[in-house]
Amino acid sequence: MHSTLKLTVSHAPFWHNGSSISSKSRNILLAGLLAVIPGCLQYGIAAVGVVTLSIASAIIWELVINFISRRPVSVGDGNAALIGMMFAMMLPATTPWWAVVTGTFFAVVIGKEIFGGIGANPFNPAVLAMTIVMVSWGYLFDFNAALLNYQFDFNAVYPLVLSKSFGASAVDSFALTDLLMGKQIGGIGSTFGIGLILGGVYLMLRGYIRWEISISFLAGVFAAAMGFNFFNPELYAGPGFHLLTGYTLIGAFFLATEDSSSPVNFIPMLAYGLLGGVLTVLIRNTGVHIDGVLYAILIINLVNPIIDKIRPKALGKGV
Amino acid sequence: MIKRSFFGLVKPKLQYEIIDEAPAEPISISASKQILLLIDQFPDSAGNDLFKTGDEVRRGQKIAMADDAPAYLLSSQSGQISKISEFVGMLGKKYMAVTIDVKPDAKRDVKSDAVRAVDESFKKACQAPSLDNAAKYLAGLPGKPDFSVFSDPEKPVKAIVVCGVDNDLLTTTNQYVVKNNIIAIKTGIDLICKISGISHAIMVVPQHLEQVAGSSGAIVKTVDSEYPSAHPELIVQHILASDDGKSMSESGIAFFSAEAVSAIGAAYNTGIPPLEKIVTVITKDGNKRLVSAPIGTPLQDILSEFNETLNEGDRVVFGGPMTGTSVFSTDYPVLPDTDTIIIQDKSQITERDDIACINCGECVRVCPANIQINQLIRFLEAGQYEEAADQWDLFSCIECGFCSYVCESRIPIFQHIKLAKHTLESMKAAEEINA
Repeated sequence: MHSTLKLTVSHAPFWHNGSSISSKSRNILLAGLLAVIPGCLQYGIAAVGVVTLSIASAIIWELVINFISRRPVSVGDGNAALIGMMFAMMLPATTPWWAVVTGTFFAVVIGKEIFGGIGANPFNPAVLAMTIVMVSWGYLFDFNAALLNYQFDFNAVYPLVLSKSFGASAVDSFALTDLLMGKQIGGIGSTFGIGLILGGVYLMLRGYIRWEISISFLAGVFAAAMGFNFFNPELYAGPGFHLLTGYTLIGAFFLATEDSSSPVNFIPMLAYGLLGGVLTVLIRNTGVHIDGVLYAILIINLVNPIIDKIRPKALGKGV
Repeated sequence: MIKRSFFGLVKPKLQYEIIDEAPAEPISISASKQILLLIDQFPDSAGNDLFKTGDEVRRGQKIAMADDAPAYLLSSQSGQISKISEFVGMLGKKYMAVTIDVKPDAKRDVKSDAVRAVDESFKKACQAPSLDNAAKYLAGLPGKPDFSVFSDPEKPVKAIVVCGVDNDLLTTTNQYVVKNNIIAIKTGIDLICKISGISHAIMVVPQHLEQVAGSSGAIVKTVDSEYPSAHPELIVQHILASDDGKSMSESGIAFFSAEAVSAIGAAYNTGIPPLEKIVTVITKDGNKRLVSAPIGTPLQDILSEFNETLNEGDRVVFGGPMTGTSVFSTDYPVLPDTDTIIIQDKSQITERDDIACINCGECVRVCPANIQINQLIRFLEAGQYEEAADQWDLFSCIECGFCSYVCESRIPIFQHIKLAKHTLESMKAAEEINA
């Protein structure tokens, strides 16, 4: 039974639905652009510089690690570019170049590659890196100071600082529609709410991020903020304010949904998102930090392996 | 090939093929020169003293390694054995490959020649139908009926299930038989009930065939049209369990395909076992045709009927797109369980990859057995098969292949699972021998 014709022989199944990591990364990058482009228009060429440097340096760090660890080059899957862009979306437009490059080093190398590359990172790499640089050089990420030299036609005070220092009445001047349209200062890609929501809805519909996580995260923020607001409306701002300021939207749609550090089962996904949302508001309202999203996401990343044990019984196992 | 739908909010759905209202007659193909029979080989039956090269065989004659060997095939043509060799299939499974040169006069016009050339031993044996002679002569019929379940003393068979559904995509063989041959199925069911002494017969069909199946006399159950609901394990779990609760899934169930049942009916009625297999052939351009070919017909003859030429790197799949087997030679024959033959052009093949799992969870959401595949695959890739079986439900897998189909990293998950199961089973077998 030997012939010269060489047929392809492989294992079943012989069909594939055509999905791939690179198409997923491409789609998330495109959805992220909906928030990044308005950010760049608002902050000018400096923001373009931060975003491009961040993406480029993230790819280069991954290449360097591929080279050092003698692994096949993996930048083609787009994950490094995605991490770079997520990181840049959280930065103020005036971040110095060395902080961007160091940050992507933390994200790609410390956050992802030393754990074994894509799929093995216990924390969202961009969030981990952002937290590290924020703790290390806090003054760079004080949005009020960082964006001091910009002239805006809206109240250029970081809304979360206002609500933290002066209570809920201080943020009454922010109309929710203005916050939604990005009339607030903050990270390059994290203030234009409508773009983040459109991008997030697109990704949820296409199945690239899980709606269970995003929706429950937002529900958690809403419920917790509502509770605080109900308890003391003078001191704590309402749910709308918490949903549209800081990193809430980018966190719900782009950061908490990162595959490797989030659960895969239905109930765990809901619990994971809800916990993240509640923690966000808890940290904002009762903690010392101004924004709670990053810490909340790190904590839910940490509990992800435990809550993902809530799973249905496999076929033929138990009653 | 069905691609990922644009919207990915809900889990992907694959629909079983539904046969046309009036399906075209199957194209009749016969073997031009040779037929090849692959017969399961068991380690303890290594010697073959029954047949040797040059022996004459008649149509319907039993070809086996030994007289009482449980695995055998019936020669679908009269001719002369020209070669007996060993063939190694999936996961090192060994077969005895018997090549039979077809007698020129038996090639065409099967009807008139067949009666004269046919082997009479079954006719003699089937005067009084019994489980014994069914197991002895009929396990090589199209549809591969399995009579060994009746002889398991630990699991007494309580029900006979006739599958009028096809258990892979694109396949329409069983639906065709149900649609066109329900009378033969009825005869077959009556016969099996009679010889086994079991009166509980259930027929499982797709919804659109419910009415037709009603005339079979069996209890009719329907399955929905989404893959893999027609998988035997899921039929037991979802359809049968709701009737009798747990007792059903724990007792033995004898599964027969509709094609096998109709063949059993015809075999006892006429004394000549039917040996034409109905196969759905899908050519490179995606056209589907039903083909009726004698068991043992090599792939080459089917290709030439459809004027298909194979080029370097193309793939030929015996069986459906989810669970079939790809073959490496155009000599590979139609076997009793070959329901589908798919010919894929090189450009239609998606290559598999060795990127690590990214934990997206698509596989977990589609798994009909609720296995945590994202965790399982980590153990399988590391070769930790025992942990995979103990902690992550390796043996709950029903082998539908859906996880590999949706995998974003394109990991050959199904292959890992098959290899792990095979390794563990052969380890267990080796331990039993040593003990």
